[in-house]
Amino acid sequence: METPRTIVRDAVIVVALSVAAAAAFNAIRPAGLPWIADREYETMVPCPEPLGEVDSVAPNDPGIHHERTLLIDARDDDARAAWSLSGAVAVPFDWLEPVPDGKVRELVRTRAGRVIVFGDGGDPDSGRELARELAGRGMRNVGFVRGGAPALRASSAGEGGGR
Amino acid sequence: MSRLRGLRDWKGHAWLGLATRLYLAWVFLAACGFKIMAPASFALDVATYDILPLSLVNAMALILPWVELFAGLMLVAGLRVRAASLLIAGMMVVFMVALGMALAKGLDMSCGCFASSGAEEDPISYLTMLRDAGWLALALYVLFFDRRPLGVERIPWVARRLG
Repeated sequence: METPRTIVRDAVIVVALSVAAAAAFNAIRPAGLPWIADREYETMVPCPEPLGEVDSVAPNDPGIHHERTLLIDARDDDARAAWSLSGAVAVPFDWLEPVPDGKVRELVRTRAGRVIVFGDGGDPDSGRELARELAGRGMRNVGFVRGGAPALRASSAGEGGGR
Repeated sequence: MSRLRGLRDWKGHAWLGLATRLYLAWVFLAACGFKIMAPASFALDVATYDILPLSLVNAMALILPWVELFAGLMLVAGLRVRAASLLIAGMMVVFMVALGMALAKGLDMSCGCFASSGAEEDPISYLTMLRDAGWLALALYVLFFDRRPLGVERIPWVARRLG
């Protein structure tokens, strides 16, 4: 007849057998796992940020230069110093940190009818990522430039724009 | 009181318990395979929960899958099923506490319950918690109601040996 005591005893025996089996199997494994980790695991887990739907625009889209369009440059200071579109607001995209609330409020207050973001044009494109973040945080009518700053620069060179 | 005793002594528990045991065994045997073969991946999952100190992460990753294996085999064989279900109930409680803490922190991560497949394919959620609660209930059912389990312990020779 099993009693609570014998049930617990049997469970302890199973755990002990498990420890022995784990030790034996780990010992014969070609690259066994050390029982005590010798370095920290890289467990960076991204915090969930709300991401919105955005559309893409061509670098030669006339809407980019419309007076009610808010242009946002998602690149870092060095990239902007090399080239940017005149009138573009700098909001450097950070892969780890969200855009500060104050900055988002500042952008919303411009009451722009259209928001177009351009980034480095890489894969993934910082412009697209920033556009999705801004859309997810309540900004409406947000898009990003396909190909980012390099495509815009090539396009505006033909039209004599940019700086 | 007598109704409770009547419920406990119902003859059908042996068959219902067998079905429950086979289902739980299938779950845990499916869960342990990848973890035994790829303990480093499972250790990363364990570390991502950010609950255990680093010194215990690898030991947990090495031992836990073997407990799952032995408990699963015992449930299939009908050998010391109450000890096996006690172990499974204990593991489910631990998993649910870990899940609850991860969900409270807002971590966007893989459950690590089966093959390590990343947060996008196997994300934790309150549904994961609900699923674990279901398995906990089944394990408790076996623990408290499957008192004369169908299995090897019904063979007189085995019963005599086990006492």
